[in-house]
Amino acid sequence: MSVKRYSSMEYDNFEDLLFGHSKYPVKTGLDLEIGAGYTTAEINYAPRPNAAENQATLVNEYERITRDIMERMVQVGFPSVVLETEHVQQMTHNPEWGADIANAQKAIMEDYHDEYGIKCALRHTVGDVRGDREKIDLRGDAYSRILESFDQVASSGADMLSIESLGGKEVFDHAILRNDMRGVIFSVGILGALDVEYIWQDICNIAKKNKVVPAGDTACAQANTAMFVAGGLLDFKLSHSMASVVRAISASRSLAAYEAGAIGPGKDCGYENNIIKAITGYPISQEGKGSTCAHSDLMGNMSMQCCDLWSNESVEYRGDFGGTTVQCWGETLSYDCSMMNTALEAGVGKTLRDVLMVSDRYRDPQAFILSYDNAYRIGEVITAHPDDLYLRAKEAGMKACELIESGSAGFLELSKFEKATINKAWNDLKSLDENKESFICNCLDTYSSEVDTFNTSNYGL
Amino acid sequence: MIDINPKNTLIRYNILVESDMAPEEMAEKLYPTDPHIRQIAKAVFEGDEDEVVAALQNTIDSGVDPLSLINDALMAGMEVVSTLYDYGLLYLPDVIISAQAMIEGIEYCKEQSKQVHESKGKIISYVVEGDIHDIGKKIVTVLLRANGYEVIDLGKDVPVEEVVAAVKKEKPIMLSGTALMTTTMHAFKDVNSRLLASDINVPVVCGGGAVTQDFISDYDLGVYCEEAADVPKIADSILQGLDIRKLRDTFHKH
Ligand code: B12
Repeated sequence: MSVKRYSSMEYDNFEDLLFGHSKYPVKTGLDLEIGAGYTTAEINYAPRPNAAENQATLVNEYERITRDIMERMVQVGFPSVVLETEHVQQMTHNPEWGADIANAQKAIMEDYHDEYGIKCALRHTVGDVRGDREKIDLRGDAYSRILESFDQVASSGADMLSIESLGGKEVFDHAILRNDMRGVIFSVGILGALDVEYIWQDICNIAKKNKVVPAGDTACAQANTAMFVAGGLLDFKLSHSMASVVRAISASRSLAAYEAGAIGPGKDCGYENNIIKAITGYPISQEGKGSTCAHSDLMGNMSMQCCDLWSNESVEYRGDFGGTTVQCWGETLSYDCSMMNTALEAGVGKTLRDVLMVSDRYRDPQAFILSYDNAYRIGEVITAHPDDLYLRAKEAGMKACELIESGSAGFLELSKFEKATINKAWNDLKSLDENKESFICNCLDTYSSEVDTFNTSNYGL
Repeated sequence: MIDINPKNTLIRYNILVESDMAPEEMAEKLYPTDPHIRQIAKAVFEGDEDEVVAALQNTIDSGVDPLSLINDALMAGMEVVSTLYDYGLLYLPDVIISAQAMIEGIEYCKEQSKQVHESKGKIISYVVEGDIHDIGKKIVTVLLRANGYEVIDLGKDVPVEEVVAAVKKEKPIMLSGTALMTTTMHAFKDVNSRLLASDINVPVVCGGGAVTQDFISDYDLGVYCEEAADVPKIADSILQGLDIRKLRDTFHKH
């Protein structure tokens, strides 16, 4: 498969972006269609720590999780559900474990589908096990194991394939702690995108062979790291404007998966998916207030604005007062979906979308740039430079700076510190090299010496 | 598109509590007064590695003992940075950049001196077995080094065996362990019991996303803390003679 760059937006207007609707819905699993006029909960879980002892205990744990979710969904009358199994390391390292689990989960889902007709599908997110203790080896043995794992889960019952890929992380970790914009562009915009397009060509081939959906990636290791280090309003770790700029740039990286053939729904933790949907027209999964079990993100309502799947990120499986955690969170997510679906049926979808969006729009610069109108504007500058990964990442970053700056003339209040950092980030971006070749060449020099684990052969450079 | 003025629905508390004073103004008040020393401290604050070395050179040329400058000038600059970070006037990258300049400065002073420089103490830092989340550990390590400690950084995903062997070999004043996952943090327990079995009573200071105070309090050697920036303070307290119980009294906040 080859890489086809986006040079225009699939949506003509940001007003058309809406939850539950995408230009290119995805049919998958047992009668499910994603982005075809309704939203569906995507429930995500982690096994209890001691459940991963051996293959049998782990399969058993996922069977219980799956049965608990399906049972609660029919008990409360929800029409559809997606389950996402994010591999614990053992499952990817031993591809047959992952396969066994996909198979066991799917069997239970089929039973419920047969009996009640509930529409459902299973996503497996293979662990990116390419970084071990000593080094990051993106194209070696661990990579073969990942592909083997994809192949096995795809042939054993998984309907959608995803990964949270690591490419660019070694340089990014170094750069983000030093407010180094150049390193951010290089790690996310160049290294990350190169890795994403490399692996997604292979994943798409595997998906095609097994007739399943190559769903998409996320810049979790980069943009979410920045978001986590930035933390809440009163944390003084990283400027939230800086985290916003990283987010905008990360869209250029995640987009590479779709350019290599992925068709959505992109992974829940990719908050950049708002931008991706505007560019590609593919459905997306998102998380927000339903993922407070996993983290706090300052845009819990807003991230529902254009979602097609609505997720909880991850919750450890255990008992809670209202059932097991997967039942409680699954029910919460599904009620949200029910509300969105009702709004769509009643013809007030866009009103609800706007209420959700405006309730967080000014909470933080990160929410501001991801509000659907602004997300669309970032998409426009990315697609304006289809043949240049460097320029499109840089322009995305500069657009975020511009949006935040102009937003601060309105209701987006910025602290003095945020104002200063956004100006600095903007100036840093403006003063970067003119062209990709010299940029890459300079970066190779700097980061080969500053970052021990950075190895150019990982990126074919 | 709907839009509203969020004044009744949202409070940006960060803006309410933001200090009127710029960090640079505040720093000016905190630098040492001696002009040479002040120049070095200021270069550390600004995170300018070249300027740190130039200012050190200048001072050493005027006849000051290079090793004394580590404590008197470099540390003094880092002190200013830490104070402003605690006040919420600086952010983490500012601290990391200053720390890096500080570490360069320490190296330079060591090179310039004929005597051996004693670090404040040895500390082992690592991320637990099975866990590759290492940004927090990187932050902790830089901050400890910038505060004059020698850090043996074992890296990430470090087997219990290896941690215990390193403790036996290096005899550190404390361990700094990071764990981000509920599935990996139990490795602290094994380190704790293996050390106790060998009669080693070194504080195992634990932090990182998944770790909680309750969890760590169950282990005899465990000390919990949330903030990377507090780890050098814990080390300083150990040097001042605080034992594990007193460390818990001081640093356990919940
Ligand atoms: C970024 C990230 C990653 C990056 C890591 C990049 C890196 N170089 O570290 C990548 C993408 C590689 C990654 C991979 C995985 N991740 Co991850 N990741 C995160 C995320 C989003 C943020 C973590 C982070 O960097 N925080 C910022 C840093 C600065 O915080 P910190 O390390 O806690 O450090 C701060 C303090 O704790 C303190 N501190 C740190 N160390 C110490 C030490 C002492 C002594 C003290 C006092 C203080 C202290 O100082 C720091 C600053 O204040 C979290 C989300 C979350 N809610 O935590 C998930 C999360 C930790 N990951 C998770 C998972 C499941 C995984 C994977 C298994 C996913 C997969 N299927 O492959 C793999 C794990 C692989 C492995 N074996 O470790 C789960 C863990 C769930 C659980 N069981 O507990 C989380 C919680 C996400 C979730 N909600 O599900 N991840």
